[in-house]
Amino acid sequence: MVINNLALSISQIEEEYPDNPIEFFRGKRLCLFKACLEKYFPGVRFGIENLLEALDLEVSTCQNQSCCSGTFFQRNLITRAQFAALNERNLNEINNQADILLVSCNGCYNSLLRGRDFLKTPEVRKKTQEILDDLKQEMGGEKYEGQYEILENPDIRIMHDLDFIYLIRKAVLNTLKFDLKGLKVATHYGCHYLNLDRDRDTETYLKDKNKLEELIKLFGGQPVGYSERDSCCGWGASQVVLHPEDAFKITYKKLRSCENVGACFILMPCPTCLYTLSKPEFRDQITEIFDDKLDIATIHLNELIAILRGCEEDQCVNLRKKSSRIHWIYQTITESD
Amino acid sequence: MNQSSDEEWNFDFLDEISEDVEENKKIIQCIGCGKCVGGCPASKISDYNIRKIIEKVLKGDKSVLKDSDIWYCFLCERCKRVCPKEGINIPLLILNLRNESFKKGYGPRYNDLTKYVEMSERFLTNGSVLDEPLDGTLPEERIKEIDKICDFARIKYVFKASDKNNSKKKHIDS
Ligand code: SF4
Ligand code: SF4
Repeated sequence: MVINNLALSISQIEEEYPDNPIEFFRGKRLCLFKACLEKYFPGVRFGIENLLEALDLEVSTCQNQSCCSGTFFQRNLITRAQFAALNERNLNEINNQADILLVSCNGCYNSLLRGRDFLKTPEVRKKTQEILDDLKQEMGGEKYEGQYEILENPDIRIMHDLDFIYLIRKAVLNTLKFDLKGLKVATHYGCHYLNLDRDRDTETYLKDKNKLEELIKLFGGQPVGYSERDSCCGWGASQVVLHPEDAFKITYKKLRSCENVGACFILMPCPTCLYTLSKPEFRDQITEIFDDKLDIATIHLNELIAILRGCEEDQCVNLRKKSSRIHWIYQTITESD
Repeated sequence: MNQSSDEEWNFDFLDEISEDVEENKKIIQCIGCGKCVGGCPASKISDYNIRKIIEKVLKGDKSVLKDSDIWYCFLCERCKRVCPKEGINIPLLILNLRNESFKKGYGPRYNDLTKYVEMSERFLTNGSVLDEPLDGTLPEERIKEIDKICDFARIKYVFKASDKNNSKKKHIDS
């Protein structure tokens, strides 16, 4: 049985389509994985959906997809086999309707690859199939062939939004109405993007550590380095909930270090990091603990692209009006010179 | 882990936890280089030291299950990336130790256990960990499927840990 981790190979596309990698995606069915935290940041979904439509690419979401369930696994509430079974259920449904799955959240991306990774352990694979067999019986059989089977070498491939946007960056640039006007921008990648090795070999991993910086330059901004660039946002699989005072030390150091280098905002590819680094209640707690008020704005790559593409403020960064700096960024980018 | 004498090693505990998670066996290859400690976010904010945790496991010291340290890991996978030994999966080991800790009724002091229960309930009612997800709830048939897969048997361990902690707290309060 072939259990592969399903990550789409970027270098292979670059080799096959060196001048115009977007051509690889033409005629393919793209599906957006629904991350739970997009509820708080709908601009994350809107930004990528709107971009794909503008690029004339076929895009959908899967009605039958559940949350990735990574949060339950990381909190010890489900076993590896249960986690892998939930993942296979999602992947099976998505495999039925799409060729490529785009993921806006590091956590979901990690879960999707980790679920497949677990299946490489024979014992977990056996237990996972047993769960799926029970399910098949309980549900009175399959609605389509292989509905309750572990996917063996399926067609579906998974790609992180950051990798996708970086790969087709020239095409993205052509759809932008505004640029970053030389604004200083700090980057945050997030642990489960920086540290994940299930989807890349070491060489590619090292090569690709600067995608956000390169995008900032391409979009007319100025990437700024800071001492805590590669550190965690502080979430740490609920450390913010378990040990808030300690975990906020990590968050605080990161935010302070960004402000120290004069960054206007922090750009990131994950709504979970965005939640930790932005939540007004967290910022208030940080002010209280460290007696220091930090007001640096934060934004997801997909939200920024929506702003740069000239979308309405309500669609790009809706529900985030409490963060006044976001409004300032929107105004600065979109005002005429 | 070459700085301890041969008599100090006792792999019974390692064998025990490897029964459930075979990959744990790989930690026997740990050379104690400490690369996993530098840059570890948990070490920056607490006494957490993954090298020491590994050492305890390799010496069969089960007190590691009672240590509050194991609940400080961020599961960030940094150590897994920098470890020179192929296949040592520290976040997976930590998750496994936490499971064992839960089973024995230790676990962390959850301030608000209801959050976990609510989150699980939401997942089994609408397919998302959040209320009123962006895309509405999952169709009923699909909910039935995830309900059947999960059953959240392990939530009982969280309750057990929380009960112990609560009674400890009551004892201290009174
Ligand atoms: S980096 Fe790997 S080999 Fe070195 S101490 Fe940590 S676990 Fe052991
Ligand atoms: S996964 Fe845990 S042990 Fe490893 S670097 Fe992150 S916090 Fe430290």
